[in-house]
Amino acid sequence: MKKVLGNIFMAIIYFILYLPLIVMLIFSFNAGRSTSVFKGFSFKWYAELFTNSAEVGVPVRNTLILAVLSAVIATVIGTAAAVYIYYVRSKAWKNTLNTVTNIPMMNPDIVTGVSLMLLFVFVGRLVGALNSLNFFTLLIAHITFNIPYVILNVLPKLNQTDPHLAEAAQDLGSTPTEAFFRVVLPAIMSGVTSGFMMAFTLSLDDFVISYYTTGTDFQTLPLFVFNMVKKPVRPHIYALYSIIFLLVLVVLLFTNISGMKEKREKH
Amino acid sequence: MNHEKNIIELKNITVRFDGETVLDNLNLTIRDGEFVTLLGSSGCGKTTTLRIIAGFLEPDEGEVFFDSKNMNGVPAHKREVNTIFQRYALFPHYNVYDNVAYGLKVRHVPKDEIRERVMEMLRLVNLEGFAKRSVAKLSGGQQQRVAIARALVLKPKVLLLDEPLSALDAKLRKDMQVELRNIQQATGITFIFVTHDQEEALSMSDTVVVMNEGRVQQIGAPEDIYNEPQNAFVADFIGESNILDGIMKEDFTAQFSGHTFRCVDRGFAPGEAVDIVVRPEDVDIVKPEDGMLKGTVTSVTFLGVHYEIIVDIGGFKWMIQTTDYAGVGETVGLSIDPDAIHVMKKSKYSGLYGDYSTFSDEMEEMNQMSEELAEEYAEELAAERTEEAGDGAEEAGK
Amino acid sequence: MKNRTFLRRIIGAPYVLWAAIFIVIPLLIVVYYSFTGPDGSFTLDNMKNLSDYGQIFKISILYSIAATVISLILAYPFAYVMSRKKEKTQQIMMVLVMLPMWMSLLILTYSWMNILERQGIINTLLGKLGHAPLNLIGTPAAVIFGMVYNYIPYMILPIYSVMSKIDPSVLEAAEDLGSGSFSKLYRVILPLSMPGVVSGITMVFVPSVSTFYISQKLGDGKILLVGDVIERQIQAQNNYNMGAALSLVLMVLIVLSLALMKLFAGESDENLYV
Repeated sequence: MKKVLGNIFMAIIYFILYLPLIVMLIFSFNAGRSTSVFKGFSFKWYAELFTNSAEVGVPVRNTLILAVLSAVIATVIGTAAAVYIYYVRSKAWKNTLNTVTNIPMMNPDIVTGVSLMLLFVFVGRLVGALNSLNFFTLLIAHITFNIPYVILNVLPKLNQTDPHLAEAAQDLGSTPTEAFFRVVLPAIMSGVTSGFMMAFTLSLDDFVISYYTTGTDFQTLPLFVFNMVKKPVRPHIYALYSIIFLLVLVVLLFTNISGMKEKREKH
Repeated sequence: MNHEKNIIELKNITVRFDGETVLDNLNLTIRDGEFVTLLGSSGCGKTTTLRIIAGFLEPDEGEVFFDSKNMNGVPAHKREVNTIFQRYALFPHYNVYDNVAYGLKVRHVPKDEIRERVMEMLRLVNLEGFAKRSVAKLSGGQQQRVAIARALVLKPKVLLLDEPLSALDAKLRKDMQVELRNIQQATGITFIFVTHDQEEALSMSDTVVVMNEGRVQQIGAPEDIYNEPQNAFVADFIGESNILDGIMKEDFTAQFSGHTFRCVDRGFAPGEAVDIVVRPEDVDIVKPEDGMLKGTVTSVTFLGVHYEIIVDIGGFKWMIQTTDYAGVGETVGLSIDPDAIHVMKKSKYSGLYGDYSTFSDEMEEMNQMSEELAEEYAEELAAERTEEAGDGAEEAGK
Repeated sequence: MKNRTFLRRIIGAPYVLWAAIFIVIPLLIVVYYSFTGPDGSFTLDNMKNLSDYGQIFKISILYSIAATVISLILAYPFAYVMSRKKEKTQQIMMVLVMLPMWMSLLILTYSWMNILERQGIINTLLGKLGHAPLNLIGTPAAVIFGMVYNYIPYMILPIYSVMSKIDPSVLEAAEDLGSGSFSKLYRVILPLSMPGVVSGITMVFVPSVSTFYISQKLGDGKILLVGDVIERQIQAQNNYNMGAALSLVLMVLIVLSLALMKLFAGESDENLYV
């Protein structure tokens, strides 16, 4: 009895969680223009997405460029930072680093966005630039909020590895640099990868921080969607996100299956 | 191998952290081909010594010599020593073969030769069939062998072993002790072995270096260390001891426990206060009237090979290991041969050890367990601290 | 003690620099803007003007607290039921909870707008049944609901991860010692899951109190929260100084509430032997 109640409760929560997704999927196939009244099944919004590709194509491309660039740079800097933090022995300095790293994660996005924007505007005024916000300020902002998540993923991996791994490699004749790339990096690679993935998806999804730090010449998908709704929402955006949903689902299935395989091999 | 040659010399080594001295003016000479054990409890500086030899730490003061060549400032990867780490530090992303081949690959040894030497090494450590196995799937003992093979394949002049057996269970540990000893004798490589386990030290080594508080307490063959401890610390740390206050009347005559004994020591000033050490197995239980000392049995424990009997004599609890039985409450006599009485000069350790009045088996067991845990932790901490000193200074400068 | 960890230190340099310039300095600049006027001279005007926003801060906090409490009430049993399932089921359920998060929350909020609007899906369906349309959007309930919807995964996640780590033998021990279902929950599960609850609360409260698109979309422009006024000052009125002052207060507010939480959590640590 208790079990049944629990299951019903869970079903209701899941239903609410997925209701907007279902609505989105259904209305992406709507024959009419409305997103409230279903006029019949049609692929026309998907077709429009591809024939009229410039409108959403540019923001999609921009979003991907930004996500890849910011995730790659954040992964490099963040991994190096994690290794550095791992070896820092001074407690006070380590605490300071950890606290600063936590700031972008704990601060509300709006404060992070506003504070970075003010920095860019401030520096822009100093150098006399007319327009202080552009693609690069957006990229910097994304790297800034991505690095902590990379560190968050890499540091625990470092803590799990044998503390003497790097020393062992040096003991066997590797220079410290070689020891890092041949031994330490492979040992923490899973953390680096998951850090990269997290940074990539956070960057794809980010709206609030981008909203404050981008210039007029560079629009990402979330910004495009936000601005668009000043006009009525049209089903082709639902169509676009339905495709994205499908992609996310495929990636998820893929990683889960490969994750299960890995687990099986370990046993 | 040449036993007369000194392969490693440490001269006046001092290592400090925040004013805390980890190694205090340490001098140590290691001869070629020896099996040397650094023995001591947590924080005594034995692992720090090893790390200085390996090149992971630079001493604040003092010099390190390999083959009479000054090694100060030479980084770890350029030193002809290899290390077996406490938890082996095997490379998790390589299989057994690639782990062992690592050092040879780094040295750009030709592929064929690598193959030959690795396989030969795996044969030596009985892991022939395991070349392609992932190291994560090996047992503790097998991982240990891989670590040994990985180090020995480079034919180092000196092998450093940092408590390599502490992660193994008791039986495996015994087997590995024998095996390590065999490997050392077969290869003739100098082994420097760090442990807190005195039995391990005594059974494996040519030379034992007993350390405490960053200083060498005694260096010698296992028998000498056991039979002729230089001070109360060594006497207590190695084996069980009854340590008493005594007075040296004259050469070959010592007085303690209210009785005058003949002994084999000399060279003390007449009337000099000394520490007397008597090993529990060197005391015989005799009839009260035949004994040099008389006392009451307060506890008897059967330990298989012998009984452990505690006898109260004038408030001092003697520990005696004997095959003769005596019942609790019985009055017995104790007899001690002259050569069983070890006389030591008073040291800072005098009066710290020796009475069994608070002794109980359970406490000993508990102490041992927590000591082992604390040991591991404290060693690491001490090593980290020495490194931290450098970092801390640097960071403060920022 | 000398050592040779030059390399280790060098690799930290990019991040140390980056964090200093793009994390620490921006916060100082927020402070700078808060206490200056448009001409760059020192002024307390922004701080004085803050009193106009008292009501908005109050509403923001109240709505966020409501959203946090509702999230907790829903997420806690959810996480508990989930943690009792088979391991494989747990994994799938967890992925299903996070899936909407990986989509854009923005688009899902739009979808809700679509559902709740005056001419939205619910009202269209009601109309077909001959019912008069309901005022769903633009109400406090809609905004609070939007917060709960957006951030409840952040509540489920930490609570679940703590609960799934509770050793089943601890629960058996509790039963063995005579605990009934209720006392097991109250005396064992609740204390042990406290750390998850604490981090869940912060992870829901912080984004809720600072949101602006939820209130814009589901509040239909009728409900203003702190996030909205910051957004207006900066994007519409170009009043960076007032925007900075509001952000500063928001930040201080959040730091204070986090400190309060920590105090509370720290106490529970000692009391409950977690």
